[in-house]
Amino acid sequence: MKREVVIIGGGPAGLAAAIEAESRGCDVLLVDENRRAGGQLFKQLHKFFGSKAHSAGVRGIDIGRQLLQKTEELNVEVWLNSPCIGIFSDKRAAILHNGVTEVVEAEKLLICTGGAENPLRFPGWTLPGVMGAGAAQTMVNVGRVLPGKRILMVGSGNVGVIVAYQLMQAGADVVGIVEGMPKIGAYGVHAAKIRRAGIPFYLGYTIKEAKGTDKVEKAVIAQFQGGKIVEGTELETDVDVICVAVGLRPLSELAQMAGVRHGFVPELGGFMPLHDENMESSVPGIYVAGDTAGVEEASTAMDEGRLAAAAAAQALGHFPDEEAEKRKQEIRDRLESLRQGPFGERRMAAKERIVGKGV
Amino acid sequence: MGTEKGIIYDGYPSAEEIRQANGWPEEERWEKGPVAVVECVQQIPCNPCEGACPFHAIQIGNPITNTPRVDTEKCVGCGMCVAACPGLAIFVVDKSLGNGLAAVSFPFEYVPLPQKGDQVDALSRAGEFVCKAEVIKVMNPERNDHTPVITLAVPKEYADQVRTMRRLRLPEKGEGFHKAEKDEILDDDVIVCRCEEITAGEIRKAIREYKATTVTEVKRRVRAGMGLCQGRTCGKIVARMIAEETGKPMSEILGSTDRPPVRPVSFGELAADKEESDDERDNV
Repeated sequence: MKREVVIIGGGPAGLAAAIEAESRGCDVLLVDENRRAGGQLFKQLHKFFGSKAHSAGVRGIDIGRQLLQKTEELNVEVWLNSPCIGIFSDKRAAILHNGVTEVVEAEKLLICTGGAENPLRFPGWTLPGVMGAGAAQTMVNVGRVLPGKRILMVGSGNVGVIVAYQLMQAGADVVGIVEGMPKIGAYGVHAAKIRRAGIPFYLGYTIKEAKGTDKVEKAVIAQFQGGKIVEGTELETDVDVICVAVGLRPLSELAQMAGVRHGFVPELGGFMPLHDENMESSVPGIYVAGDTAGVEEASTAMDEGRLAAAAAAQALGHFPDEEAEKRKQEIRDRLESLRQGPFGERRMAAKERIVGKGV
Repeated sequence: MGTEKGIIYDGYPSAEEIRQANGWPEEERWEKGPVAVVECVQQIPCNPCEGACPFHAIQIGNPITNTPRVDTEKCVGCGMCVAACPGLAIFVVDKSLGNGLAAVSFPFEYVPLPQKGDQVDALSRAGEFVCKAEVIKVMNPERNDHTPVITLAVPKEYADQVRTMRRLRLPEKGEGFHKAEKDEILDDDVIVCRCEEITAGEIRKAIREYKATTVTEVKRRVRAGMGLCQGRTCGKIVARMIAEETGKPMSEILGSTDRPPVRPVSFGELAADKEESDDERDNV
């Protein structure tokens, strides 16, 4: 089986890429291991930031719906419940589909399998009730199940603070947000929503232990200095859930087995596939986008997907050079504007470094 | 919680930060009627407020990380920007109400919503009780997209403090944090690889005694990362432990080699591939 463009992962990057590629006339196959495409978008009940012209102010869940609707209108071929289990030479992707392993040969392959939450090791972290903040968000916003009544959040980045807010909206008591750094990591406006609701931040603290026999019953936190717990500063309280939100890292197993050159980029989550200004990796014809290509946000993921798809369509001869260059520049400009300011500038510098070095 | 003030320490902006970000209207503007107070003090990539104002009173421009600038002469305090702000950082304050009262409007995304006429607890930016207040307006039209805007009448002297109200349905509050009892737990006993039940002690031993310096070497010696999840969960912890033990930076600690299948797959599903030639199947 052959397709011009095979996109692995139907999150914001993959959906945006599928729409871009299909509307340029490419023969596209989008595969996703879940029963619905959309990735993390359907968990995002909050209104997105970004530019008004590109869906800012719209809730993530609604952006997901819009993207799905567009893929339907364009008749994009989508395989759901279909994990890609491996990539072989000549851009052949092995995909489990309807109980059969289909090997699809792609002229252009886009890997956008997202990111994974970082784990944190502490005594009791394997007890039921300790979970990634993303897992709690899936439970509450997709499964409509409140994971617990008294919740401690570990990590004050945007994920930790947004998930804490949504757990509170669903009726849970968030006992606090602990943060190892001396300052809050999230956008201030997200932090301010939490503070107005009376939730305290414990800055310079970390989780020391989850206590309980069959499940989490208590959380012990302690001051954290120079990477070490300060003995004697331990505080504890009753909880039934501890959420861990200590960052994400690119999920790039498929890119790795395809032989894509990786590099260590701490600003973007650690080891990640390197790419050029078209999101193309060191293996010609294999592109990466979204969190797989460095952990950022859904808005940047969508634009990276579009950029990769526009470049692929151009390389396939479906998109005239002049128009394609114009389109790609427009997307790059938008990405640049999303990476402005104190929260984005490190990511922007890292991306510039990656593209500047070449693959 | 610290001694330093400001949004990155307190979680809410100080008056100084709001003033510096041009969010605070001039003194003489207050008496003229309702006006938007924009408490957006950091440069973040966001500009829906600019397009939401029907009077073009909010300006961000380029780059979109500029903090919003309100032209208080153009602003009529209509509140269209309040629900449009994804950060819920815009308020409308009306100090011209008379009778020593001021109106404070704020976004409020919790159920149940209050009713007009309810007496509620008005809270500060830190979520602390400021005063009792009457709900004088509840706005929740479709265009707000589930961000209702509540208006409270508060004594004028509290107009700059009140920024929300206490939720009407509060979760049961347990006891807060208190000093923990002394408890000796050994890190060596903590499980790192959940699939194969490999402890931190076993991994440390692989690093110290068997000289494993990569995640793959640890995997080969003690099976951490060989289970169902293929090290997706523990891989980073193992890498961090190698860094701790060897003093090497994380950038030098290679992850495990990824091989197909990256998801659990039955032999049946693999063998059911009938469309491909035999040599291709051999690669699988």
